[in-house]
Amino acid sequence: MDFEESSTKLVSHEFLAVVLAGFGNELVPLTNDHGDEPCPKALLPVANRPMIDFPLTWLEQSGITEVLLICPTTHRSSISHHIHSDTSSSSYPSLHVDVQTYEESPDEPIGTCAVLKHFSSRIQRDFVVLPCDFVPPEGLSLTSILNKYRIESNLDGAIVTSCWLLKVHGPDRGAIPGEWGSTGSCVPIIWDKKSGTLLHIDTPDDRDRNSNELEIRMSLLSRYPVASLSSQYTDSHVYVCKRSILDILHQKSTFDSFREEFLPWLCKIQYQKTKQEKYGRVLRPIQANATHALALRHSTLFSGPLLPQDPSSRGSSSPSFKPVLLRIGIVVHDTGFAGRVNNIATLLEVNRQFLTRANYTLPTDPENRALIDAKSQISSDSMIGSSTKIGERATIKRSVIGRHCVIGKMARVVGSVLLDHCVILDGAKLEGCILGRNTRVGAKAELVRSLTQAGYEVDAGATIRNEKLEVSDWTAGPQGTDSDGVSQEDEGL
Amino acid sequence: MPIPSKPSSTSKVNLEDEDAEVLQAVILADSFNKRFKPLTVDRPKCLLPICNASLLDWTLEGLALAGVQEVFVICRSHAEQVKAAIQNSKWSHPSTGLKIVPVMTAKETFSPGDAMRDIYTHGIITSDFVLVFGDLVSNIRIDEVVRAHKDRRKTNKDAIMTMVVKQSGTTHRTRPKGDSAVFVLDRDTSECLHYEPASGYPPKTLAKIPRDIFDGHPNIEIRNDLLDCSIDICALEVPSLFQDNFDYGDIKRDFVHGVLASDLLMKNIYCYIAKEGYAARVQDTRSYDAITKDILSRWTFPLVPDNNHPNGHAYDHLRGNKYIPKDNSVVLSRTCKIGNNTLLGPSTQVRDDAQVIASTIGARCSIGTGTVLRNAYIFDDVVIAANCVLESCLIGAGVWVGEGSRIGRGSLVADGVKLGPGTGIKAKEKTTPMIGEFIGDESDEGDVDSELEQAEQCQPSLSQSLGPNSDAFVWPRRVAQRNGEDRHENELESFDNRRFMRLGDDFADLDLSDPGSVTSEDEGSSESDGDTVPQNATVFSSATSLPSAPAVKAVSAGEQEFQTEVRLSLDRAFSEGHSLDNASVELKTLRMASNVPLRRVREAVVAGIVENIPLVEGAVPQRAQIKKWVDRWGDLINLIGGVDGVETVSILQHHCASSTRFHLFGQILAALYQNDIVEEDDIRNWHVQPEAKGEGIKNSDLLEKVQKTWIVGARMIHQLNEQESDEDDDSNDAESEGGDSD
Repeated sequence: MDFEESSTKLVSHEFLAVVLAGFGNELVPLTNDHGDEPCPKALLPVANRPMIDFPLTWLEQSGITEVLLICPTTHRSSISHHIHSDTSSSSYPSLHVDVQTYEESPDEPIGTCAVLKHFSSRIQRDFVVLPCDFVPPEGLSLTSILNKYRIESNLDGAIVTSCWLLKVHGPDRGAIPGEWGSTGSCVPIIWDKKSGTLLHIDTPDDRDRNSNELEIRMSLLSRYPVASLSSQYTDSHVYVCKRSILDILHQKSTFDSFREEFLPWLCKIQYQKTKQEKYGRVLRPIQANATHALALRHSTLFSGPLLPQDPSSRGSSSPSFKPVLLRIGIVVHDTGFAGRVNNIATLLEVNRQFLTRANYTLPTDPENRALIDAKSQISSDSMIGSSTKIGERATIKRSVIGRHCVIGKMARVVGSVLLDHCVILDGAKLEGCILGRNTRVGAKAELVRSLTQAGYEVDAGATIRNEKLEVSDWTAGPQGTDSDGVSQEDEGL
Repeated sequence: MPIPSKPSSTSKVNLEDEDAEVLQAVILADSFNKRFKPLTVDRPKCLLPICNASLLDWTLEGLALAGVQEVFVICRSHAEQVKAAIQNSKWSHPSTGLKIVPVMTAKETFSPGDAMRDIYTHGIITSDFVLVFGDLVSNIRIDEVVRAHKDRRKTNKDAIMTMVVKQSGTTHRTRPKGDSAVFVLDRDTSECLHYEPASGYPPKTLAKIPRDIFDGHPNIEIRNDLLDCSIDICALEVPSLFQDNFDYGDIKRDFVHGVLASDLLMKNIYCYIAKEGYAARVQDTRSYDAITKDILSRWTFPLVPDNNHPNGHAYDHLRGNKYIPKDNSVVLSRTCKIGNNTLLGPSTQVRDDAQVIASTIGARCSIGTGTVLRNAYIFDDVVIAANCVLESCLIGAGVWVGEGSRIGRGSLVADGVKLGPGTGIKAKEKTTPMIGEFIGDESDEGDVDSELEQAEQCQPSLSQSLGPNSDAFVWPRRVAQRNGEDRHENELESFDNRRFMRLGDDFADLDLSDPGSVTSEDEGSSESDGDTVPQNATVFSSATSLPSAPAVKAVSAGEQEFQTEVRLSLDRAFSEGHSLDNASVELKTLRMASNVPLRRVREAVVAGIVENIPLVEGAVPQRAQIKKWVDRWGDLINLIGGVDGVETVSILQHHCASSTRFHLFGQILAALYQNDIVEEDDIRNWHVQPEAKGEGIKNSDLLEKVQKTWIVGARMIHQLNEQESDEDDDSNDAESEGGDSD
């Protein structure tokens, strides 16, 4: 019998998930091309799992089956390959992922709004926007956010439900170079706790206009007299949206960023009457009322006028305006760590967070077991991918080592993240580094708080601190020029 | 000498530590404003009765309830009366356990800040104290607040003040609309991080919260629902801070705001959000109304009329919150109707068919047959004859109201006034007529003289509404409301804002919509064009609306109100045929009351004349009509104060250009010239002005019309030039020129 089959189909048509994958400009040099081969941000591993798996698994758990994955054209094949491969799709078996592409260059990233507008013909129902780099917190299921939206969209006019997370407290300042970005960029937001309504988001424009004071409309405060304000929360970029949002986006073509421009603007509609008059009907078309009226007409208990008469409705000159109830819902989650892996600092931090919960034990299958030398020291808060070889008396602490890596004898890896296929030769020391795929570190080299592009080769004996190492020219091959330049700069420091 | 003094001081410290400290309170028994005028002419505000006990008694009762032991009453106006009242009250008995010390301050104490400086110089305060106003009605356990305050002081010496606030709704009746505030609090400690005062008019659109508070305080709450009870627990530093900052006037708006905004002081102010209890200030007539209702509906329990009445009266509490004295001294007719929420004073008589609804009546009053009182607050010894209607008004002690009088919403009648039979104090939607009797001199109030002068000008017209045998002085509503020019002419005391504090004013005509929401299309100017263009169009196309100015100017609500007033007044003058003098006096009063430039009045008058000329067919009869109308009313243009022909012509031009009566311009100008209202030189001077040619006008339609009128003017000047050369034939040509112009 296929009862189960039919029930899941019912749910599937409620929401469409739109997963956005970008270039990851903040993650340079990890996302730089490896030769002709791109390194999509979506496939960058977090705790040895490609990060796209996290949102997709989260979606799977919520019962959504339709996914529209939007990625740059050049990334399509590798992402598509990953998603449809057997090993990865085992964690989200019922998802139907439609991979679509858009033309974009890393130099001119386009905002969420533009992407949504471009694909609006493919989005025909209420949808959930998710970034590919979202690592969902424990204890917060997408279902709970969807349920809030479900209730409020029918009850009191929610058009968007967003989710904000308590800022992850990263390591102390100075532990990582400032250019790696910070963990969780926070903006002051104002929300109503009682009803879970997002009221105001501070935008860069607001800051430009008045850098000393936050300006709040009194109309907001008279509608929501007890408003909470905090600058401790960061946007998860998970939005459950009504389909009509896209109609607004078509009207307001100037918007680019969803969080910095569009959402703050939507918040204002809630309490500004003129905006409501103008856009309210677009956001909440009248048919909702019609069904309500129809239901009332069949009611035997209701004897009042079918539609509430609004005293403020004007004469024939302007179409009579009924205030439309519009709300932006907010889910504030403040337990557990979570966040978007959208810069180096968060990548390192999220990996660290996974490590605190990791409990490393030696692999049980003999093949992998044989690769790890008995005399190596691996602390329990580490992760080591399959088929990785670890040499004699190598030390690994608080680190994530990818698959098919080779760690040489006497090598020391502390607080670092190594992606797949890295080779660390004997006696090299790594501390607080993130190494891209196929990085090769020469013998006795010492790297501290550095990043490498995929395929970079560090010379033997080099000492490098606080550097972003990029392959300057692929055809020339990694020659001594790179490390020379680096060491010169190093002396300069 | 210092040796014996030392142990005494240390023992004092010990005493303080042991909580044996005397709890001191300071009552500022002056309102420092004139919201209750003229009721406060003969007595201080704190002695006004509410529910038949003076405000000061309510305050003292509340403080005694809260365990305060020593009270300093800071008196300014009518200080002797306050002193006498304290001596005669039950509080002067030693058994009450409350020590009350009246403190006189100088007449120059104009603000609570001045009073605080006075407290500092007197040096009467020895420890943390409770600061309240003399118009407080409260049952909050202040001692608990004091304890919380002192506990906080033990760990944080910089916590200098704790404000008691009460949660209410945004539009709660007791929450003053005209004088409220937004509190920004730390959610966890309820430290006040920012204080944003808000007044009712002009409506506040933006609350500004300093960004630097975000760092230290992860969880912040913005509260717009708190009712400021005006009970502040202050540390000793507070008066000295007032002393240091001599410009601090108001306690909240200046001191709290200033301390929190200061980078140097590093002092903290905390809020105590009272969960239980009631506290509110009778700040104005509107809150007088609200608090009376609160007392009658027993929110202030245990301070209610039938229990702990501050004046010692004993009332029976009947169903529907009716309070009748226990001593059986009240005479109620069999057919009278006593509505809900009503309090009747001892020895009061209510006669046949009288209705008393939601009102309080003082002692020894008499309510005549068939009289209706609704939301009326009547003090002692008032006699109201038969068939009167009193609505939403305050009637002072000893007032006599003649038969068939009507007193409209929002009226205040001062003590001892006599109103003859048939008096009708109009209750136009926004009138607040005031009736006051000035016995003796009021020399200390400097600005009264100027007000009096203005009021006397209007007396003939206003006193018509009084019945015979009246002994009263009617204040024109606007003039009486005006502040002294030199004194706190701040936003809070502005006329429009004070309307929020007035009884019976529904301020329906004030434009309270958030103007920001109209103009806030800051992003993408393209779309806002769509909004503004039709708005402009309506301004010019509607012939009925008064043209405001050549340029489209944002006309403030006050000015708009003035314009409607002027139009109404002119319509009345035209239809009822007033004399020019009367009409001009009325206009002058209006102008002074709302403080608009003379040009606006002139615009209104010109517009009124132009729009009221009867339109007839044919050039000659039309010219006759214009001549007749200008002969009758034209002089009004110059009677409103100051003669400025150039301005008159320019106003006429701009009015005609934006009106449907555009074609009349030439003829009207000619008629004005004929009547010597504008001189030949005026027309010439006007004509050479760049504005006359329509410079700076954007609207093309308007510009075209302005230019046409300019050409008409040019032709007229040409005529005048010709006349100068040959003096034979005069005005006819000019007029015919004008006639052709359309």
